[in-house]
Amino acid sequence: MKTRKIMIMQMGFLVLVLVGLYFAYPKADVSVSGNFVKFDSINANVIMISENSDFSNPIYLDLEEVGDSPVNFKPGTYYWKSANSLIQGFRGKFVVDSEVGMVVDREGGGADLVNVGNVKINITKGGDGFMVGHIILEPEESQEIEDFGEYIGREEK
Amino acid sequence: MRNKLFLILVISLLVLPSVLSLGITPGRTTIEYVSGLEKEVDFSVLNNEHKEMQVFLMVQGELNDSITLFDGMVEFMPSEESKSFKYKYKLSDSISLKPGPHIAEIVALEVPKASDTGTYVGATVAVVSQIYVQVPYPGKFVEADLNVLDAENNGTATFIVPIINRGKLGIGDARAIIDIYTALNEKVGTIDTDYMPISPGERTELTAKWNVNVPSGNYLAKVTVFYDGESINFEKQFSVGSQMLSIESILVNNFQLGEIAKLQILVENKFNQDLENVFANLLVYNDENQAMADVRSAAETVSALSKKELVAYWDTVGVKEGEYSGKLMVKYGEKSADKNLVLKVSEDSLDIFGVGYAIRPKGGKGVDMTTILMVLVIILLIANLSWFIFFKRFIGKRK
Repeated sequence: MKTRKIMIMQMGFLVLVLVGLYFAYPKADVSVSGNFVKFDSINANVIMISENSDFSNPIYLDLEEVGDSPVNFKPGTYYWKSANSLIQGFRGKFVVDSEVGMVVDREGGGADLVNVGNVKINITKGGDGFMVGHIILEPEESQEIEDFGEYIGREEK
Repeated sequence: MRNKLFLILVISLLVLPSVLSLGITPGRTTIEYVSGLEKEVDFSVLNNEHKEMQVFLMVQGELNDSITLFDGMVEFMPSEESKSFKYKYKLSDSISLKPGPHIAEIVALEVPKASDTGTYVGATVAVVSQIYVQVPYPGKFVEADLNVLDAENNGTATFIVPIINRGKLGIGDARAIIDIYTALNEKVGTIDTDYMPISPGERTELTAKWNVNVPSGNYLAKVTVFYDGESINFEKQFSVGSQMLSIESILVNNFQLGEIAKLQILVENKFNQDLENVFANLLVYNDENQAMADVRSAAETVSALSKKELVAYWDTVGVKEGEYSGKLMVKYGEKSADKNLVLKVSEDSLDIFGVGYAIRPKGGKGVDMTTILMVLVIILLIANLSWFIFFKRFIGKRK
């Protein structure tokens, strides 16, 4: 009988602790669309973000200031934790994919090669099956090119 | 491989469109080597211009025998902004013999359409999604870089040394010493970073602060990273006071959707001479990442070490309520101060958020979840122990 009472009290205490933890835990979801990352939160007010799994050198995103607005990140892998004044949540991870994109714009008469992706790219120019030069372009940068041959763009190291 | 590319070009008798474009994502996928690892990876080819096109997919590079592509020639309709594809890799034992990166490339080549009327072959573009397989080095091995933030006169610059442990063994303590030299090879400072451990395959960042008490200009950082008795050296150039102009704020008063909005952009000239022909250029993008607004302010002269307001007008006729991404560029000479923005448009308000707008400089909140769980376990143990002692005494007394 007494053992039963103890068990019930222990169960009650455990349930109380778990319910408290459930309500105090900073719940947040992350969604990534291109370079924009949006955090939806119920009771978190800060998101810790780092490029390192050990959270060295983190940045702190104040959700009260950001509101529902997405935040722009450069391509890479990021680790994050939601936090409120009581608890720091578990570690999560999201990836902002790099995008390699190029346009040959011939509208001005000549030909301009434009980096329309979100990373610095290294463009090799080939002609007759041989590599004859290369160009480095930052996002949105452009360079006039000779309008022949093949231009192959890859993410710069 | 190149012959294959060339063959595709040669067999096509072409008339080129005025814009030729192509994209691929991700630009790079990095895999830590595990013997025999087999996996499927998604990638997307982007039809940025929403046009009908044919794209030829192929694999090239050192690891091309380890990669299987499921598609070759693919067609895009104008309605298709992107298409997802897959490739499969299987890592063989042979590559483990050579530590370091091993690369394969998925190449997407736009095949220009053949036409009845022309035979002109112009430039063609191809984009690459790289696969980097990192084979760990025996023992301890680090890769390091240097990023310098906020290197402004009389400020405090932050030196960040990101390091990756590419070795098979963990590193107990990694730290760096950074010596700073002028262009005349005169040492003007030495700083020490903090210490960090790094597990195999992991990345961490060492940081150090430097009080900038040198004139604007280019400097050389000579970095030595020490890790468990070993070290590597490298050099990197950085600038002090390179940012002459900064965007301080953007103000919009009395906004009404459908009318012309007045954007007041406050800029500060941090350089010790006047900047002429300074103007602001705001680009607002729609959901399809196309510029739906391109507004410019008049060109102004911003006096040395002073602030000035640039005014641009945005005609919001036809703009719907919602969130838009944008980019504000303040151009001066050949340079530009840029800020990525998010514009929240509603019937009677326009809220503009910038990158880093809400980033706090320091200090987190809350207690780590592991600590919470530890405390809970301790509380539960104490509670159990208390009940146990209490009932033991209670039963003992009754007996």
